[in-house]
Amino acid sequence: MVKKITQKLYIALMFIFLYAPIAVLIVLSFNKSKSRAKWGGFTLQWYKELFANQQIMNALYTTLVLALVSALVATIIGTAASIAMNSMRRSPRTIMMGITNIPMLNADIVTGISLMLIFVAINYTLGFTSVLIAHITFNIPYVILSVMPKLKQTNKSTYEAALDLGASHMYAFRTVILPDIFPGIMSGFLLAFTMSLDDFIITHFTKGPGVNTLSTKIYTEVRKGIKPEMYALSTLLFVSVLTLLILINRTPSEEKINKRLKKKAVQKESNSKFRIFKPAIILIVIAALIVGSFAGMKTTSGKNTLNVYNWGEYIDPEVITMFEKETGIDVVYDEFEMNEEMYSKVETGAVKYDVVCPSDYTIQRMIEADLLAELNYDNIPNIKYIGKDYLQSAEAFDPGNKYAIPYCWGTVGILYNKTMVDEPIDSWSAIFDEKYKNNILMINSVRDAMGIALKYLGYSLNSTDRDELEEATNLLKEQKPLVQSYVVDQVRDKMIGNNAAIGIIYSGEAIYTRRENPDLEYVVPKEGSNIWIDGWVIPKNSENKENAEKFINFLCRPDIALLNFDYITYSTPNTAARDLIEDEDIRNSTIAFPDSATISNCETFKYLGDAMTAYYDDKWREVLSQ
Amino acid sequence: MNKKKWLATPYIIWMAAFIIIPLILVVYYGVTTDSGSFTLENVKNIANHDNMKALLLSLKLSLISTVICLVLAYPLAMILSKMQMNSHSFIVLIFILPMWMNFLLRTLAWQTLLEKNGVINTLLGYLGIPGIDIINTPSAIILGMVYNFLPFMVLPIYNTLIKLDLNVINAARDLGANSTQTFTKIIFPLSLPGVVSGITMVFVPALTTFVISDILGGGKILLIGNIIEQDFRSSRWNVGSGLSLVLMVFILLSMAILAKYDKDSEGTNIW
Amino acid sequence: MQCLCMGIAMNKLIDLQNITKAYGDNIVLDDLNLYIKENEFLTLLGPSGCGKTTTLRIIGGFENPDQGNVIFDGKNITKLPPNQRQLNTVFQKYALFTHMTIAENIAFGLKIKKKSKSYIDDKIKYALKLVNLDGYENRKPDSLSGGQQQRIAIARAIVNEPKVLLLDEPLGALDLKLRQDMQYELIRLKNELGITFIYVTHDQEEALTMSDTIVVMNQGYIQQIGTPEDIYNEPTNAFVADFIGESNIIAGTMIQDKLVNILGTNFECVDVGFGKNKPVDVVIRPEDIDLVAPEQGTITGRVTSLIFKGVHYEMEVMANGHEWLVHSTDLSPVGSEVGIHVDPFDIQIMNKPESDDEEAVILDE
Repeated sequence: MVKKITQKLYIALMFIFLYAPIAVLIVLSFNKSKSRAKWGGFTLQWYKELFANQQIMNALYTTLVLALVSALVATIIGTAASIAMNSMRRSPRTIMMGITNIPMLNADIVTGISLMLIFVAINYTLGFTSVLIAHITFNIPYVILSVMPKLKQTNKSTYEAALDLGASHMYAFRTVILPDIFPGIMSGFLLAFTMSLDDFIITHFTKGPGVNTLSTKIYTEVRKGIKPEMYALSTLLFVSVLTLLILINRTPSEEKINKRLKKKAVQKESNSKFRIFKPAIILIVIAALIVGSFAGMKTTSGKNTLNVYNWGEYIDPEVITMFEKETGIDVVYDEFEMNEEMYSKVETGAVKYDVVCPSDYTIQRMIEADLLAELNYDNIPNIKYIGKDYLQSAEAFDPGNKYAIPYCWGTVGILYNKTMVDEPIDSWSAIFDEKYKNNILMINSVRDAMGIALKYLGYSLNSTDRDELEEATNLLKEQKPLVQSYVVDQVRDKMIGNNAAIGIIYSGEAIYTRRENPDLEYVVPKEGSNIWIDGWVIPKNSENKENAEKFINFLCRPDIALLNFDYITYSTPNTAARDLIEDEDIRNSTIAFPDSATISNCETFKYLGDAMTAYYDDKWREVLSQ
Repeated sequence: MNKKKWLATPYIIWMAAFIIIPLILVVYYGVTTDSGSFTLENVKNIANHDNMKALLLSLKLSLISTVICLVLAYPLAMILSKMQMNSHSFIVLIFILPMWMNFLLRTLAWQTLLEKNGVINTLLGYLGIPGIDIINTPSAIILGMVYNFLPFMVLPIYNTLIKLDLNVINAARDLGANSTQTFTKIIFPLSLPGVVSGITMVFVPALTTFVISDILGGGKILLIGNIIEQDFRSSRWNVGSGLSLVLMVFILLSMAILAKYDKDSEGTNIW
Repeated sequence: MQCLCMGIAMNKLIDLQNITKAYGDNIVLDDLNLYIKENEFLTLLGPSGCGKTTTLRIIGGFENPDQGNVIFDGKNITKLPPNQRQLNTVFQKYALFTHMTIAENIAFGLKIKKKSKSYIDDKIKYALKLVNLDGYENRKPDSLSGGQQQRIAIARAIVNEPKVLLLDEPLGALDLKLRQDMQYELIRLKNELGITFIYVTHDQEEALTMSDTIVVMNQGYIQQIGTPEDIYNEPTNAFVADFIGESNIIAGTMIQDKLVNILGTNFECVDVGFGKNKPVDVVIRPEDIDLVAPEQGTITGRVTSLIFKGVHYEMEVMANGHEWLVHSTDLSPVGSEVGIHVDPFDIQIMNKPESDDEEAVILDE
């Protein structure tokens, strides 16, 4: 008895373990606050907004189509291969099974990378098809591993008996073998479907512009904070699958109990009808989901397109919709989280973007690598709304303003929780202070982190002096035990949730976080900091240069710039837009628009050359792997 | 019968084009420089202090997670296999079901749970129990690994256990073995193929993950997966490929072990 | 009655008292009482689902009865786990440990009992010799034929020197010839070992060949207990008669003592005490029917089919609206007119059960 209870308790605990995070996500989908760290009351708002969110609906559609098509193709190829392998002699079969096991056992990261390398090697543009091929590749083994055992169980003589009775090979297969192995095929299909649905890593490496599955969409959002609509969508998906499973599993179980009462021996036989019934339901539901998400998405089939590559959460989606409506151009929108990531994509040319939004030093690097096309200002009359000062600052990395138009700018500073520190903070020394041990959120970005250390030590944040860099590295190493975690944009949620006292943050994020948690304060330390500018550029290999210029021009329009400012809260260089800001506090906010003294105390990043960049990378890795 | 073999053609072509050749490409990149000349530098990179450290840490964390998974999963699989479930597929589905909630979201949810002011600590606070502080530590990464890969340990073991002939167990009891002896001498040895495939299915992804360490390690902890991912992210393909080659050695090793135990070479135990 | 007398001569080794077992609503054994004597070869015989295997598993300790007691050698072992019972089982599909060699399989029980290595080695040799498989020590079970595996399963059980060996349809998976060989082998083994065998089978021929005592079961009730001769010659009801060998079971009416009406014709018999004009079942074994000249028969009929069976001819005779099954060494061609004669002592009269329950109560005594 005690044993039984212990067992039940154990199972219960394991299921709590497995399903606790899912419960959390479901709760979050009803959370009024956008932040993961705070309960802002119950709302159904996200469910409503979900269906209006084009990006998420697009991602859902892509995910489902991808999963369905890859699972279907994998099922066909895999089943055929299983049948062939089953009739092979031992040694070729062993070799084939060995190869089958490779994608199952190989690290996803290696599979993803190897597939990316092959696509790049044959000069195949990464896009939906490349992801599809990748998914089929890792799905086939699941099908084979589900079908093979069933095939082995089938009695060879039944097939021969069918032939003997005059059936053709095809007919015999369809009527004798297929029903036997059908459950295996079906579970292979479902497994493949689920695996495709849940894959992130392989998709991450093989996807092209504008192609986002839910996984990759979420990954870009991880840094910026997940959109609550995503929780809503996941909850809907999960609940519908759960209901489906309960429905399917209820019917046959009652049937079976009755049977057991009658005779045990016959038990196994009569399942086949349900087995065919089940997949039918599943297929119908999947189809319904796809049709549903199709209704919510828009197609980008026309030739008049524009490939935009921007930071995550760095534009008001409404702006894109407006642009599309006004110009009739279809926007394919894609996001990145790091300059380096964006750079390598543009550099390989695996993906041809039309307009990209890198940071200052990366713009310089791209100019030096001859990756950018010169802008035709005749097509960008709205440049006149951009403040002269900002254009001048931009000349530091783009002499003559030939390649880039400033989009957003800001400083890097300290965000701290007034209730958790002793005195107002005004120096970088706070993040190296022993008393804030485990309460510091350090920035997880090479140039920013090294720059802070260099500034604190009184050096330039573009230092190439190895001694200075060594000193900075050592300082960061010493700091590591004090650091709670290294993050980029997650600092927002953590600070809002009172999980740390001090964080490094971009000024644009500071406005939002302070709105959510009034205890927070932002400061640009007195030692000076980084001032950065992100600007729009057009890669040389762009195929829609004119559309790209139209897009840039559109973004420079004051009303549009204002819309964006309200949404992303990053400082705009658009002086006309700033004048339109209604809220006086914000218009004069020193966070959004620091005074000239602060600005002059700050430095912009410069590109330091490949060798130096690699050196910085190595030093930063040294810190992290300490 | 010869006709049947042709059915494998699409598969063979597919596997050659998208598994074999890409892997050869990884090897190629791994042993060449940017300009295409032969070098072993990329592979030797693993001996570099930081990389070695990341590799050793990855090995350590993935081994620990594998052991924890095994210890948690085996009793679970045993209890489940003994239950009078009318449908085995139901059990399998219970473990696959969470996958319909995205893997990244599930891992992120753990952040919310484990955070300093997170759900668990808040609950413990109400109960007056001191909170746990494992977020951003290797323990949190282990937890994330165990959470994400536990089903891959439970299912293979469960599948071998339900296939065990009950009479074989009865026979052992009949011959005088008590429950412990029956377990160590009969049940466990017979379930070994499931255990081995479970171990591979947990160990390999745990060894190579970069997402879990990213999300739950607070960026403080670099695993070998993170390093490779960073290399590719910043276009250092040759170095990344070189390090991938090192990883592949471990993967091949576990495949060899799996092949040894799974004599039918059909991999039937995995699902 | 008969059993009681014999019980005085031999010890009750196992005594099953009021055993009831149900799975959900399905009652497998209902208040079963049975004892097994020392050194007996007892067979539980019945169709599948009759409860015979459950009975065996309760004795072996793999099932717990819902009610009732299992007494072994005077001790109540109802709750004792299988590993502490002094009996061993030979399983239906052998249940050999596939990950061990033959020697390891046989040594399993002895190692658990921590016997010395030399003792174990001797035992393995002895057991393999006993089952005629010397030299197979290092083979794996998978490389053996079904018959060989069966013998290893027996060897594995008997090295533990159990007082009782339980055999669950051990020959079920073997082909006919092998099965017959193994039957003799088992009888030899039992005689050499001098222990009790409890044997479960649905094969009546096997039961008749090997057993000292047969227990016929159906639907959770014991139908009849007796020696093979008793069971064959004097089945107590239609079920037993039908299950054991072939027979003609015909509804009839007992006119008076020693006279029964079958299909409208009166036959002389030797049974008394059924009352007057009482409906009964009449059992006549096919080999007990004599085909004679039409005028000499009690009734006449026509031969409708004829099959040569080697030892005898099997014929079907249509008489008084009933197909009579007849075994005879004399041939009567299809279509010929024959007379049917049955000696009075070859007619077996049985009470017709009025309901299942009543049948059970009567038979269970």
